[in-house]
Formats: sequence, structure tokens, C-alpha cells
Amino acid sequence: MTGIKIILLTGIVFICLYIIIRLKRKLLDLVLLFSMIALAAVFIIWPGITNSIAKELGVGRGADLVFYISILIFWFVVLKLYVRIRTLEQSFTDMIRQDAIRKADKLSK
Amino acid sequence: MLNLEQNKSKIVVIIPAYNEGRELQRVINSVLSHGIFTVIVVDDGSDHRLDSVLHQPSIFYLRHRVNLGQGAAIQTGIEFARNIEADLAITFDADGQHDAEDLPALIAPILEQETDVVFGSRFLEKKVSRMSFRRKMVLNLARLVNFLFSGLLLSDAHNGLRAFNKTALEKIEITENRMAHASEILFLVKKHKLRFKEVPVHISYTAYSSKKGQSGLDGLKVFIDIVLHKLFG
Repeated sequence: MTGIKIILLTGIVFICLYIIIRLKRKLLDLVLLFSMIALAAVFIIWPGITNSIAKELGVGRGADLVFYISILIFWFVVLKLYVRIRTLEQSFTDMIRQDAIRKADKLSK
Repeated sequence: MLNLEQNKSKIVVIIPAYNEGRELQRVINSVLSHGIFTVIVVDDGSDHRLDSVLHQPSIFYLRHRVNLGQGAAIQTGIEFARNIEADLAITFDADGQHDAEDLPALIAPILEQETDVVFGSRFLEKKVSRMSFRRKMVLNLARLVNFLFSGLLLSDAHNGLRAFNKTALEKIEITENRMAHASEILFLVKKHKLRFKEVPVHISYTAYSSKKGQSGLDGLKVFIDIVLHKLFG
């Protein structure tokens, strides 16, 4: 096993542990997560597999295929985060607004 | 001509303000001088409370605990206007670029029940003083963007002087906290099939209001906000 394989595998083990702690009860998320982790582990241990999949899909190298998919996942995550921030901002705004209205002052001379 | 003294409607003027100084006092005085308006100042989380610099006979003062943006401040003013059962609400910039003398003409079409929303426009008549060529270009581009996204082509894209009747006041819910609210109002007018009209108003670009105004880069930010608004609602 080469050095890079060890580094990458350690990486996904840590990510895996972190997410398990966070999502103890969400079964579907866990199943999805484990399949992705398993896939990642398989690709790291036998990188040749990505090459054959890449060839099937018309991409030159396995590493390129992984790279392209990562970009897609990256954008998906960015959009999901953006939507979440908007929702958060909206509830935050509502709170500030209600507070301002409740404490409205009538100024007089 | 309309006789404002005989008017029985409750008319509020919403002034969103952020870190304004003495100019705000002058703006409020000019609005109050008509004697028929109720002023609502929404302090959008200024560094120091604005009521400490205001010495006003009966105005409402609301304060956001943190800065949210002009759109959010206007919506807060609108909700408060509903609470105090206003019949008509006007939005008015705090930086002194609007002229309170335009207010009677602005609300006339609503009082005569011709329309639900009135937009002030600086381009209907040659009333613009001291506007740079670049600002003109940015505004024209903004008009076009608004038209593409809302289907409404107004002569002025981002004019802070507007009036809403009670129907519009009930329906307008601004969710764009920052500057894209001006476009969002158009989307809402279109969505709720509100009648609208443009009325010529005077805008003056003083050194102070130019400093507080928007640059071309801000225009780009607004554009991005509009696109995201359309995508994610």
C-alpha cells in the first residue's frame, strides 16, 4: 500500500467518524454515506477500476473522472448551503423585525 | 387638484435609515411640514441609535438590532404600517435625495383610486440635477434587467420614492434584504396584478447622497441577488 493510499483512507475514516457522530439516527443518510465511503475506499485501494469506468464513460483517466464528479458534488453542496443560508437569514430577519416592531417608540418632543 | 387638508386617510412615510446624521433630521422636517404624514423611521442597526440625534414631534422610531439592509428595513416599516392601520404608505430615502414637495403628486393617483402602487421616476421629466453619465448607464442597464425579469418596463429602475395603497400594503412582502428589493417590488406588483403608475419626481445628487449611493459594482451584486432570487425564491 502506497503512502497516498494510507493518507486518503485515513482521511475518509475521519470524515466517516465525524459524520456518524453527527447523524446518529438518520438511517438513509448513513446508508448513502456508507456506500460513498465504501466506493471511495475501493477506488483508493484499486485505482485501476476508475480507469475502466472512465474509459466506458469516454473520459481519459480515472483521476479525471473523479475530478469531474467532485466538481459536480462541490456545486451541489454550494447550492444546498446557499439555500440553507437564505432560510436562516429569513428567520433571522423575522426575529429582528418582530423585535423592532415590538419595541417601536413614539418619539415626542 | 387634490385637497390634502380634507384627506382622511392615514398616510405613513417609511424612512429606512442607516448611519445617517443631521440630514435625516432635515428630511423628516421636510416630510412633516406637510402636516398630514405620520413618519416611521426604521433605523437599520446603525452604529449609534439614531433617536439620540432626532428631536421630533411624534414620529415612530423602530430599530433593527443588527444591520440587515434597506429592503429589510422597508419591510419592517410596511409591517408596522399595517399594525397601525395605515391606508397609504410611502417609502422615502433618508439621504436627502428626494424632495418632500413631490409627495402630494406622488400619492394623488392613489387617493383618486386610479392605481395601487405609484413609482417615483426621475426620467419622466428633465428634473435630474447633477447625475453622472456612468450612473445613468447603470440605471438604464438596471431598467433592462428589471424588464427581463419582471416584464415591467419602468422609466426609472431604482427609485426609492414609492407609494402603496392599502391593497398593495397587504400584499407586498419583501424578502430581499439588500438592494435587490427594488426589483423584487416589481416582481410582486406583477405577481399580485397590482395596478401601477409612474409619477415624475425630483432627485438631487448632493455630495452626501452620492457618497451614500450605489456604485456600478453594487449594481452587479444586485444583479446576482436578482438571479438567485429568481432561482431560489
